[in-house]
Amino acid sequence: MANAGNEVVFKKETVSKLLTRSFKEDKTKVSSDAVILVAEMLKVFVEEATRRSVKQADSEDCDTVDIEHFEKILPQLLLDF
Amino acid sequence: MDEDEAQKQRLKAAVHYTVGCLCQNIATDCEKQITKQTIAAIAETAFRQCDIFAKDLEAFARHAKRHTVTVDDVKLTARRTTALSNYIQQKSEELALNNQELKEKRKKNAAKRKSKDMEAEEENELED
Repeated sequence: MANAGNEVVFKKETVSKLLTRSFKEDKTKVSSDAVILVAEMLKVFVEEATRRSVKQADSEDCDTVDIEHFEKILPQLLLDF
Repeated sequence: MDEDEAQKQRLKAAVHYTVGCLCQNIATDCEKQITKQTIAAIAETAFRQCDIFAKDLEAFARHAKRHTVTVDDVKLTARRTTALSNYIQQKSEELALNNQELKEKRKKNAAKRKSKDMEAEEENELED
């Protein structure tokens, strides 16, 4: 969500639901601080993905970041996370 | 089953929206265009990555014989890259600091309220 001050973040509620639906056990919960940190991790993930794609497009002299640029940087991105 | 699917779509849409904002901001910063297809691909990947995070987090918590995922578990998830690990460490310290400040604020407020209440009680007793 875009806030004043131009800071885009993942909403806590969204992250919380995303995590709990992937848990295998019903008992597993997440502390609210942990939710905030996971939101940060996701944000960094998306920013890295975008910046690396931009760099890739740059290295190929393209003005538009296309899906093929993202595809090229995806393997290393996943390994780094 | 349908409700589960509906919730999944809603979550995907929410993720897609935030990812779109993030991508656009960065692309504009770098003076590039980014295709909708690319944004969609990044959003889908982020969605799946979250699933991987969740499973890791649950495993770490269980390994520590806990049912609640904590900040320490998240730090472990970030272990693969030094820069990421340092960044998360920094963020967790900021959070801890914030929590402490909030606690102290609340203590002060509670103390204030207590002394106000006691003053009010004394006044009432005098009136009686």
